[in-house]
Amino acid sequence: MRRQVPLILCFVFGVVMMLTQFSPHSFSQGIYEEVLSWALIISPFMLVLGTVTLIQTHVARIRRRTEHWQYSFIIFAGILLMVVIGIPFGPQHPIFVWLFNNVQVPMDATMFSLLAFFIASAAYRAFRARTFEASLLLVTALIVMLGNVPIGDLFWNTVLSGLPWDNGLSDTKQWILDNPNLSARRGIILGVSLGAISQSIRILLGIERSYLGGGD
Amino acid sequence: MEVFGIWVAAFLTLCIYSFLYRDNPFYRFAEYLFVGVSVGYVFVLTTHQGFIPLAWKPFWAAITGESLIGLIKLIPICIGLLFFTRFSTQHQWLVRYPIAILIGAGSGLAIPNVLRANIFEQTRGTIEPFAAIHAGTLSAGEIFGAILMVIGVVCTLTYFFFSIEHRGPIKWVSKVGIAFLMIGFGSAFGNTVMGRVALLIQRVDFLLNDWGGTIF
Amino acid sequence: MLEKLMDIDRRIIFILVVLAVIIPTLLPINLPISVSAPTRQLHDYINALPAGSTIMLAFDYGPASLAELNPMAKALLKQCFDKDVRVIGITLAPEGTAMGSTLIQEIADETGAIDGEDYVFLGYRPGEELVILGMGSDIASVFETDYNGKPLADIPMMTNVTNYDQISLLIDLASGSSTEIWITYANVRYNLQIAAGVTGVIISQMYPYLQTGQLIGLISGIAGAAEYETLLDAPAKGILWINIESFVHLLIAGLVVIGNIAFFVQRRKEE
Repeated sequence: MRRQVPLILCFVFGVVMMLTQFSPHSFSQGIYEEVLSWALIISPFMLVLGTVTLIQTHVARIRRRTEHWQYSFIIFAGILLMVVIGIPFGPQHPIFVWLFNNVQVPMDATMFSLLAFFIASAAYRAFRARTFEASLLLVTALIVMLGNVPIGDLFWNTVLSGLPWDNGLSDTKQWILDNPNLSARRGIILGVSLGAISQSIRILLGIERSYLGGGD
Repeated sequence: MEVFGIWVAAFLTLCIYSFLYRDNPFYRFAEYLFVGVSVGYVFVLTTHQGFIPLAWKPFWAAITGESLIGLIKLIPICIGLLFFTRFSTQHQWLVRYPIAILIGAGSGLAIPNVLRANIFEQTRGTIEPFAAIHAGTLSAGEIFGAILMVIGVVCTLTYFFFSIEHRGPIKWVSKVGIAFLMIGFGSAFGNTVMGRVALLIQRVDFLLNDWGGTIF
Repeated sequence: MLEKLMDIDRRIIFILVVLAVIIPTLLPINLPISVSAPTRQLHDYINALPAGSTIMLAFDYGPASLAELNPMAKALLKQCFDKDVRVIGITLAPEGTAMGSTLIQEIADETGAIDGEDYVFLGYRPGEELVILGMGSDIASVFETDYNGKPLADIPMMTNVTNYDQISLLIDLASGSSTEIWITYANVRYNLQIAAGVTGVIISQMYPYLQTGQLIGLISGIAGAAEYETLLDAPAKGILWINIESFVHLLIAGLVVIGNIAFFVQRRKEE
C-alpha cells in the first residue's frame, strides 16, 4: 500500500502517456488530454513541499540557535509580507508589484551580478595554461570573450588592417560556436538524453525508486 | 512612492555589494530577505496563477452545479491535496501518490519526445551534411565543418563511454574528445563572462542613472 | 615583485572591474557592431511574416537575467508591433509574470499597440512541459483567461487562435532549460517553429539545435540584443551596454594574460 501502489500508479500513468504519443486515435488523444489536465491540476500542489521544507529548516535553525539563526526571522517576514498582500489582493495589486520591482528585482539582479567580480578575480588567479587542454580552454575563452564585444573587431580591423579579412575575432568566435563547440555540445546532449531515457525507463519499471523517499 | 522605491532598491543593492568587502550583517539581511520575498512571491503566483484557475475554479463550478462534468476534476484535486499529508508524520507516506503520478506521466511523455528531439534529430543533424556533400552543394569550408563535426561528436561520446577501458586507440580518440570538450567549455566560459558582466553593468546603470538621478 | 603581483588583494581587482564599468557608463562610446547569422535569421523570419500573423513570446526568466533578456524582449516587441505581428505573451517562470506584463505594456504604450487586438499577456501556469503540451491541444484549456482575468473567448485576437496551429513562431526568452523543453514538446510533437533569446550562460548549448533547424534563430545574450537593435536601427540599452562591456572584457582578458605571464615566469625561475 505504501510503496506498491505508488509504483503501480507510476507504471500505469507512464505507460499510458507513452502509448498516447504513438496513436492519433481520438480515444487515445482523449485519455492523453484528460491525464494532462489531471497533472496540470496536481502540479500546483507541489508548491507545498518546497515551502514546508524551507519553513521546517528555518524553524529548526531557530530552535537550535545555530549561527545567524536570528536572520531566519527575516525569511519569515519576507514570506509573510508577500503572502499577506498577494494572497487576498492578487499579484497585480500595486503594493505587491511595488515590492517585486523594488525589493525582489534589485536583490535578485545584484546577487547574480556579484559573480562578475568573482569571475574576474578567478580569471586572474586560477585561469592558467598549465596543460594542453587548459590552454585550449583558455584560448577559446579569450577569443569568445573578445569576439562578443565590438572592441574586439575594432582592434582586429585597426591593428590587423593589412589582412584581407574584416571582423576576424567575431567570425572566429562564430566558427568556434558553429563547429567544435557544436560537436562537443551534441556529444553531451546525446549522452545526457540517453541517460535521461534509461532513467525514465528504470523509474517506470520500478527499478529506480529514490523518488519514493525513505521509510516503509 | 517611485523615488522611495528607487532608494529602497539602491539600499538593498548596496547591501549586497557590501559583501565584496567582506561578509557583514547588511549583506546577510539582504540575503535572507531575498530568500523570503522570493518564496512569498512564488507562493502567491502559484496560488493565483496555478491553484485557483486550474484546481479551485473547476472544483467550485462542479460543486455549485455549474459544470457537473467538472466533478471528474475532484479526483486530481483530491490527489493533489495529498501533498498536505507532508504535515503529518503518520500520514506523510501518502505524498508518494501524487509524486508517483507526476513522475510516471512525466517519464512516459519524456521517453518518446526526448528520443525524437535529442537522439533522432541530433543524429540526423550529424549525418545529413554528408547527403549535401554527396549532392555537391557544400563549399570546401562546409565540407571541412561537416567532417570535423562527426569527428567531434564521435570522440566526445567515446570520452563519456565508460564501459570499456580507455587504452590504446580508444585513449587517443577520447583525448581528442577532451579537446573538443575543452573548446566547448571555453566558449561557455567566454559567454558566461558576457552574461555576468551585463548584470553588473545593469546594476551600475541603475545606481548611476536612476538612483543618481534622484540625488543630482 | 612577481609574488606580490600574484598575491594581489582580490578587492583591488574588484575596484578595477567597477572602474571599467563606471568610466564608460559616464563617458559612453559607440563602436560598430557586426551582426551574427543566428540573430539575422530570427530578424528576417519575423520580417517575412505576413501582417496579422500571431507569434508567442515566452518570458521564461527572472530578475537575475533581466539585464540580458529585457533589451532583446523590447527589441522583439517593437519589431512585431511595427510589422503588425500579434504577440501572445506567456511565461513558464513565476518571476516572468510581473516582468513580462510590464514590458509588453511599456512597448505597447510606445508603439500604440492595443491590448486584446495586437497583444495579449496570458501570465503563468506551473508545470512547464504540461503547460506546453496542454496548449498544443487547446490554449484555453490551460489559460482560460488572460492575466487580467478576461476570458480568451472575449479577446478579439484570440478568436481564431485555438492552439499552435495558428501560431507562426514561438520565441523563448530563456535563462534555464526552458528552450530545450519547448523544443522537446512543442517542436517535436506539434511542429511549432521555435527561436530563442538566451543568457550568456546557455548560448553554447543552443548551437546543436540551431544546426538541425529545431531553432530557426538565436539571440545570444547582451551581444545578441545589441545586434538586434542594430538590425532594427533602434539603439537602446543593448547597444549602450555592449559598448561598456567591451572595456570589462578587455580588463578580464588582460588579467588572464598578466596572470599567465607571471605564472610562467615564476615556473621558469623555480625550474
